[in-house]
Amino acid sequence: MKIKLLFTPFLYLFIAAASYSQTTQIRGFLDVTGAYNKKATFGFGEQDLYITSAISDRISFLGETVFKYDSEAHSEFAISIERVIITYNLKDNHNLVLGKIHTPLNYWNDTYHHGRVLFPTIDRPLLFSQNIIPLHTLGAGFEGSNLGKMKFGYNFFVGNGLGSSEVEDNDRAKSVTAAVHIKPADRLRLGLSYYYDVISAGADVHGMDVDHRVNQHLISASVARFGKKFELLTEATTALNHTDTTGTKTTLAGYIYAGYKIKEKYVPYVRYDNIQYQNGEMYYNKNNKQSFVAGFRYEINYLAVVKLEYQHIDNEFGVNVDKVTAQFAIGF
Amino acid sequence: MKRTTLISIVTGKSAFIQYSFLIACLFFTLAGNAQQATLTAIGNVSGAPAEMKQSELKSVLMGETQRWKNGKRVVIALMKTNTPLGKTTSSKIYDMTGDELNKYWLSLVFQGKSQAPVFFTSVSELQNFVAQNPGAIGIIDKPMAVSDVRSVMIDGKPSF
Repeated sequence: MKIKLLFTPFLYLFIAAASYSQTTQIRGFLDVTGAYNKKATFGFGEQDLYITSAISDRISFLGETVFKYDSEAHSEFAISIERVIITYNLKDNHNLVLGKIHTPLNYWNDTYHHGRVLFPTIDRPLLFSQNIIPLHTLGAGFEGSNLGKMKFGYNFFVGNGLGSSEVEDNDRAKSVTAAVHIKPADRLRLGLSYYYDVISAGADVHGMDVDHRVNQHLISASVARFGKKFELLTEATTALNHTDTTGTKTTLAGYIYAGYKIKEKYVPYVRYDNIQYQNGEMYYNKNNKQSFVAGFRYEINYLAVVKLEYQHIDNEFGVNVDKVTAQFAIGF
Repeated sequence: MKRTTLISIVTGKSAFIQYSFLIACLFFTLAGNAQQATLTAIGNVSGAPAEMKQSELKSVLMGETQRWKNGKRVVIALMKTNTPLGKTTSSKIYDMTGDELNKYWLSLVFQGKSQAPVFFTSVSELQNFVAQNPGAIGIIDKPMAVSDVRSVMIDGKPSF
């Protein structure tokens, strides 16, 4: 009898899913770049395919797979499953989320993913490319959006954490992500988030072995305002990495982007990035960086964007970088 | 004999009359367009309410509401943004151009935050879709009522 009761909701769920007319879409993004940094070079970036499917009235699926160049792969190309998300709508705007997600710590990470046609600049800010925040988390959680007059939203997610593989956790500790945001006006979003994880000694994170157990706290804030004319996006993360030998070391990372639509399709823009590590930082690869980007975006239509950009990167260690890059990004 | 110069054409009395005439024409043209640009929300009787505020309608059509009060999932039906009605819908409801609206939905669907609207090239197709799908809401140009579809009053008016 108990077993019957246990399986009854799943039976209803199965019947509901079977009687629902499924809609599935496959779409993607691709970009081709040309750059000049002491020599001219051409290349293409990631080919991103994503699938969305409404499985039932309440269940939906989103998968995002990236094909990209990898010099170490046999075919020189690697396939990376970036997101596998099963969403179950619990009630109104509240959802249960299962799978591999882009950690909803920051606006950029949770909004643009790998869709370069949507990026306001050619590349991600250093905050993301320097592995300051965990880009992905595999686990389960809840999310809500557009609640009340302030359009409040939240994410609460428990995951395997850094050092884990795609199929199992490498330790007993779980990562916790808690994020809130409000949209007090049209085209304005304010966000705040907290992330906690324990990275075990010996874990392989971003291809590097972690020598010491690290307790990591990340506190992030973001302001996004994409108005009719003026665009502003700024995010900052404070990372507190604690090891028994070094104590707590603080890293500050952030960027500010501003763009102005001079016509419907033309947007000149600038972005400034800054990452400052505290002396003695052991978890991150300490190399204080500043970057300045100035560029021009021409939006041919919503599926085709051309960007031309100059970037200067000031490194604490190693040579500084000056480069000019052009990118043709498309969606299909 | 009075010479006609460029300045006199631009600044003369006759120019004033010509400009007045042109402005009047422009005004009546715009007024005519504004009259054509009224919109009506229609909804499947199972889901969409009979009356909404304009702000609620915008919120629903922005994909910010997943379910109606009766629990039916919101399904949005719009005219394609390259049709005249689609262009009016984009500007009047979303305050966006057609391209901006397409980009908005591309981004929202890619984030996994919402199901994409269903876009149509003809009003009759849109009406049929709304009639056949509980929870569906769509935007057309004039009020209509057929079986399973009703016009949704916005701020107490059938059109806006």
